[in-house]
Amino acid sequence: MAGAAVLGRLTWRVATIRDMREETARAKSLVLDVPDWPGHLAGQHVDVRLTAEDGYQAQRSYSIASAPEARGLELTIERIDDGEVSPYLVDEARPGDRFELRGPIGGYFVWHAGLDGPLGLIAGGSGLVPLMAMLRHRRAAEATNDARLLVSAPRFDDLLYRDELDGARITLTRQAPPGWDGFTRRIDAEMLQAIWPAPGARFYVCGPTPFVEEAARLLVGLGHEPAAVRTERFGPTGG
Amino acid sequence: MPPISRGFRSRRRTGLDPSRVPPGQYVTDDFPVLSAGPTPHTPLDQWSFAVGGAMEAGRSWTWEELLALPAETVTVDIHCVTKWSKLDTRWTGVSVDVLLEETQPWGDYVVAFCDGGYTTNLPLEDVTGGRAWIAYEFDGEPLEPEHGGPVRLLVPHLYFWKSAKWVRGLNVTDTDEPGFWETYGYHNRGDPWQEQRYWGD
Amino acid sequence: MHTDGNHIAGLLAEVFTGELTAAVRACETCGARRPVGAHRLYAGAGYVLRCPDCGDLAAVVYERGDGYALSLRGTWLIGRAP
Repeated sequence: MAGAAVLGRLTWRVATIRDMREETARAKSLVLDVPDWPGHLAGQHVDVRLTAEDGYQAQRSYSIASAPEARGLELTIERIDDGEVSPYLVDEARPGDRFELRGPIGGYFVWHAGLDGPLGLIAGGSGLVPLMAMLRHRRAAEATNDARLLVSAPRFDDLLYRDELDGARITLTRQAPPGWDGFTRRIDAEMLQAIWPAPGARFYVCGPTPFVEEAARLLVGLGHEPAAVRTERFGPTGG
Repeated sequence: MPPISRGFRSRRRTGLDPSRVPPGQYVTDDFPVLSAGPTPHTPLDQWSFAVGGAMEAGRSWTWEELLALPAETVTVDIHCVTKWSKLDTRWTGVSVDVLLEETQPWGDYVVAFCDGGYTTNLPLEDVTGGRAWIAYEFDGEPLEPEHGGPVRLLVPHLYFWKSAKWVRGLNVTDTDEPGFWETYGYHNRGDPWQEQRYWGD
Repeated sequence: MHTDGNHIAGLLAEVFTGELTAAVRACETCGARRPVGAHRLYAGAGYVLRCPDCGDLAAVVYERGDGYALSLRGTWLIGRAP
């Protein structure tokens, strides 16, 4: 396992926004410069801390979107309507702005190309971010593991990384464009069985808690080993 | 000194009367949902509320019986130990004084017990004398499950973890028995004006 | 609503000076063996981690002004750093 998964003391570093890229009407990817960044594993996240002029601080966690091989650490942030941090990062922040960042964090929800076996990725909404880091790493490492991705999103325009979803299975749960030939319903056993007809894959499931728990429950019900299903639930972290 | 993130503003309110904001707190217009476990859902026809323990005569009420008790609507400020405060919150419920009428408690403490197993302890005098209610409405609407519905304890002068969600009864005790958060190191009383957040404060 | 142990990975790493979400916990109530990252996380006055299979309490952890408070239940298998 790469050393990035096992940490000494975590320290806060200063990240500077180098570039920003619109992914959807509600989401942007931020490309960051972080001095002395130690490297990371796909699936890990960072803690971001903002400080206002009056000293008030707010902290949130964001999954790393970039492969470990990429130059520049990338995060993809989706605006939560009455959020405190995401509207700032998506709508206010611009290149040159700074905030504190701590990481990389996580040793459970990680994948690297040295792990054998097929890769099963299931994303609900912005849960696609850490899974895309895994796919980008797989490509950069020229890994040959079979990899299948299932993405669930309300509408086509909500899909992140649209030009990197060739070969992904997609289900649009609220509205599909004319001529759509993907799925158009909430995930269910039949859908998962069609994509993963046999056990043996390492699964990574990420998204809102109800979505993740439903997907995990369905996978286990279809005979996949619980220990082969890793989960990361996104959600509010309280007050 | 950490770098300031240009243009970042908190959504907490400023310019408030400081006598309404305990030390270390900030005021929010949100109502964050916090809990130590999953939201329980007891059907109302199986629900009851009881007072008992170190007293002459315990009592209990069904949901209909609770709603038939004299109720009040109060507007109070609430303060969470995680540092947010919310001002002018409006609740409707039954005063704990009404529930303890004629029970003649001899203990000095109370443990609130709840669906899901949550408990919290308080001095009896902190839930009597018009300082505490069993609340079933927030802002004129039935209390939502995620905020403690059908019924929660409301003790606004103490940190809000004492206002136990999904409360099912009050047990008067003659010794102070730490509840859930108190067992894990939170303060036995929890007065926000003295910043009694943790044991040792 | 809850999330999971991944959310407090940073906090746990501060407390333990090491990564904890991959650590496996054996539940003393139901016998399940699940990684910390798979446990359910509730945010209350402090953080509560619960066994994903039976809901049993696995940990309570929170920051206080002067440090951290921590309570662990069940058996946690924390790996050595290589």
